[in-house]
Amino acid sequence: MNIKIRNTLGEITGASIAMIWMYSNLTEASTMTIQAVSKVLAQGIGASIILIIALHIIFNILSSIISGKYEKDIDDERDKIFELYALQASSAIFGISLIIVLVLLGWFNLTIITGLIAITFSGFIASIVSLFLKIYLYR
Amino acid sequence: MIKKKIHIENVVRKLRFNNNEMTQQELAELVGVSRQTVVAIEKYKYTPSLDLAFKIALAFDMEIQEVFFINQ
Repeated sequence: MNIKIRNTLGEITGASIAMIWMYSNLTEASTMTIQAVSKVLAQGIGASIILIIALHIIFNILSSIISGKYEKDIDDERDKIFELYALQASSAIFGISLIIVLVLLGWFNLTIITGLIAITFSGFIASIVSLFLKIYLYR
Repeated sequence: MIKKKIHIENVVRKLRFNNNEMTQQELAELVGVSRQTVVAIEKYKYTPSLDLAFKIALAFDMEIQEVFFINQ
């Protein structure tokens, strides 16, 4: 497995774990205050960043131990093109989700707490989908 | 206007072997890209930018059209 796919898998794992953690802490969202929900979401975002960094380090250490050599992660023009495709995909998904949530908030009496959770989760889902797209391109 | 999609091929793999069996990693380091990019170029899965194509040609001391060409 090449270093790009390994790092992308680390990012998917980190984001997924953070999403699951947030979901498990938001089961009682309907009875929670907006402050409590915001705290969980902020902690989840922070945790995902820390997890992604930690998984990058762990995956690279494990790979170096298994293969016996240090593999350098070089970003070149091909990586930048793939980053651009992934960014386009995640922006499109997040943009569509944001409009849907705003429509639901404006016309269908969606609560602000549910809207906040939906926007945060759509950001995570957009990110995960774009990461899968990167794996598909690197395959 | 040329609307037909062109398919660019190359002889990078052949040139590597003719240059003291240069490894993909060595070529990658020489032109400043990752080994995966060299693999993708050799398999025609990725067409390099003009800048990178020139660097690869220069690495083998050849003209760009001798390394990259259109498959008619």
